[in-house]
Amino acid sequence: MAERTSTIADPGLADEGDRRIAWVEKYSPLLTSLKDGELRDGALAGKRIALAIHLEAKTAYLALVLAEAGADVTVGGSNPATTRDDVCAALVRRGVAVHATHGASADQWETELERVLESEPEIIVDDGAELVSRLVARKPELVANVLGSSEETTTGVVKLRAMERDGALTWPAIAANDAYCKHLFDNRYGTGESTVSAILKVTNLLAAGKVVVVIGYGWVGKGVAKYFDGMGARVVVSEVDEVKALEAVADGHRAASLDEACEVGEWFVTCTGGIDAIRGVHFERMRDGALVANAGHYGHEIDLDALRELATEVVEARGDVTEYRLRDGRRIHVVADGELVNIAAGDGHAVEIMDLSFSVQALSAHYLARNHERMRPGLNRLPEEIDRGIARAKLATLGASVDVLTPRQREYLESWR
Amino acid sequence: MATPAESVVLDARLADAGNRKIDWAAQHSPVLNALRGSLLEPGSLAGRRVGVIVPLEAKTAYLALVLRDAGAEVAVTGTSPAYVQDDVAAGLASRGVTVYAVAGVPAEEFERYYERVLEFRCDALIDDRAELVKLAHTKRADLVESICGASEETTSGVTRLRAMEREGVLRFPVVAANNARCKHLFDNRYGTGQSTIASILRNTNLFMAGKEVVVVGYGWCGKGIARRAKGVGARVTVVEVDAVKALEAYADGFEARSLDECAGRGDVFITSTGVPDAIRREHFEGMKDGVILANAGGLDVEIREATLRELAVEEREVRPHITEFTMADRRRLHLLAHGNLVNIAPADGHPVEIMDLTFAVQALACRHVLLHHEELAPGVHEFPAELDEEIARLKLASLGMGVGALTREQAAFLETWE
Repeated sequence: MAERTSTIADPGLADEGDRRIAWVEKYSPLLTSLKDGELRDGALAGKRIALAIHLEAKTAYLALVLAEAGADVTVGGSNPATTRDDVCAALVRRGVAVHATHGASADQWETELERVLESEPEIIVDDGAELVSRLVARKPELVANVLGSSEETTTGVVKLRAMERDGALTWPAIAANDAYCKHLFDNRYGTGESTVSAILKVTNLLAAGKVVVVIGYGWVGKGVAKYFDGMGARVVVSEVDEVKALEAVADGHRAASLDEACEVGEWFVTCTGGIDAIRGVHFERMRDGALVANAGHYGHEIDLDALRELATEVVEARGDVTEYRLRDGRRIHVVADGELVNIAAGDGHAVEIMDLSFSVQALSAHYLARNHERMRPGLNRLPEEIDRGIARAKLATLGASVDVLTPRQREYLESWR
Repeated sequence: MATPAESVVLDARLADAGNRKIDWAAQHSPVLNALRGSLLEPGSLAGRRVGVIVPLEAKTAYLALVLRDAGAEVAVTGTSPAYVQDDVAAGLASRGVTVYAVAGVPAEEFERYYERVLEFRCDALIDDRAELVKLAHTKRADLVESICGASEETTSGVTRLRAMEREGVLRFPVVAANNARCKHLFDNRYGTGQSTIASILRNTNLFMAGKEVVVVGYGWCGKGIARRAKGVGARVTVVEVDAVKALEAYADGFEARSLDECAGRGDVFITSTGVPDAIRREHFEGMKDGVILANAGGLDVEIREATLRELAVEEREVRPHITEFTMADRRRLHLLAHGNLVNIAPADGHPVEIMDLTFAVQALACRHVLLHHEELAPGVHEFPAELDEEIARLKLASLGMGVGALTREQAAFLETWE
């Protein structure tokens, strides 16, 4: 194997990084119990794992748990805006190879991801399919090494499905995102809480009474809408799927097309997973002082090029808030340059949520290591009994519990007569 | 006009960053902006000297600027070295307001700043927790003569002023700005509620949903905190010493308990009582491992750091603004911001729009005592209802909303008794 090297900004930041990781460890009872239990069976020993997820303290703890299980872990960042240099330094000091720097240019980031791939991974823990798509497209000679991969996000699963359709996915990939213990909590409550918290933090404005337009009502949009409702905002949901729009109404929100909502909205949060959710036609009609933020996976849900074309001046109004002054005098405020607001302008999802998500990831990697030969190439689900096991373990840490069916009840449910 | 007195700030070069924050506050303060063209138009406070003490950040700074632009000479300090943003202090000083405030200086030095404000020979004071009023009646009674009145920001301060009034020592009229409806119904409740929960989330990076959150004290602040904690999915228990308020908490959908009962089951404790030692030694001793302790009340001793220190065998900072106290039995208790106000010390304080209302009350209360002090007896006075209503009307208008009006018949009905 090649010599373990790392590409990071400043090894001197390791102490602060360690302190952040220690806080995460304290509120991650599941990962800690996996580290001390199930993952010690040797299945991951010596396995080369490449991991690219938003590189902050919680991700670092996942990397350390996998390393503790004996894996040879190499880490990259899934987005240079969300990489924390102090956490990278701490990981390197603890023997994990890292190629990631905060604020890296697009070219630099590509180089970093390439170096991660050069570790010749057998298992890939991916976010947005960044590593998988690059490996297949640019390093076809490395495909044969890969035993399997697991994917963190809805966006990544959509990409993998496209790869599968095109016959490009030749190994078993676990859609970690689709596990109950991932998307039902991480995408909904995790994104909801952290998105609202980040917007309040960077704006210092009042949510109560504000008309907040949530664009996209998938799991992320549902959470964002729910938490804004909890802060007293008046929530309007814009959807392209009529069933989801109806669901939004049943959840107590208003549903309106963005063409209608752009004139009444004060804050706009994109949660679509697509592109150009907010476009020039919308900026042209927004109220003075409107604020836009993105909670979706990529920074291109808000068409900033269109906004720039409308603007005569662009100034920083507060840290992480950019003010675009338009020709007609209106001001539009963009939070964190349209990057994922809860991570770029906050600390990301709550620790306890990522304890669930990363338990799914750790057990997916473990499952791949043990069972890759028996799995079919393409997208797979994490087996349901593992998923439910995570929920049971989490309930136990909360002092909560779950009932079991009586034999009679089970029999009733299984009979058809 | 006297030469502007010299300001005391950390670093004048921070002014640009401070001014940017002040401009953001100004942009989201429609009520103060409307008043600048009416009741507080240029010249309306010409030649008056006003001393202001408030947590010194962007919104406060904008209040000082509004008063300055109305013609007053203004001297400002912060309420405590924990609640000063040095860049905002520098920005304010750069715009011709006299500022005495440096973050983190020793308490004795900070008290000198209070005196410097009084030495400014103020006609009126905008006070917080009655700090300046108290000083002008005790240590610096030599400076009380020039003062024709004051207005008071907090519940704690009004309580203190009533005690002074009862003892017959209060020498000038004070408007209880806190009691204005446009203040306490919004600032204490929605302002403290949102900013307290937002600060706890951002500083801990923890998940609130399903957590047992214990709110100690169910006044306006406690009501707002409980409501927002519930809004982010927490299970809320309220601790009150007033049976009616405890019952109110119950009717609002919360559990009401004594702290003795719930100390052992809470995950997060938030105090908003206005009294010292809201959470005491015996409670710390029974708490779970990993609890979060935060204070949102008027005093920094509602959760006393010194008590935790006495009980702890180890103390360290585990994240910025979070101190971990490890007990002899290895339980870890986490105190936010050393027990200082959690929404201000490690955060930006109340939302701008809330302080726009609050400071509109303060600015008009100040104007009221300056213009009418001769008609007002020494003592605590309520904020004039017509000004309160005017502020609400201006705010509604800025939102594009309106208010109904009674018909003549309805008004007459309400005024008859036969």
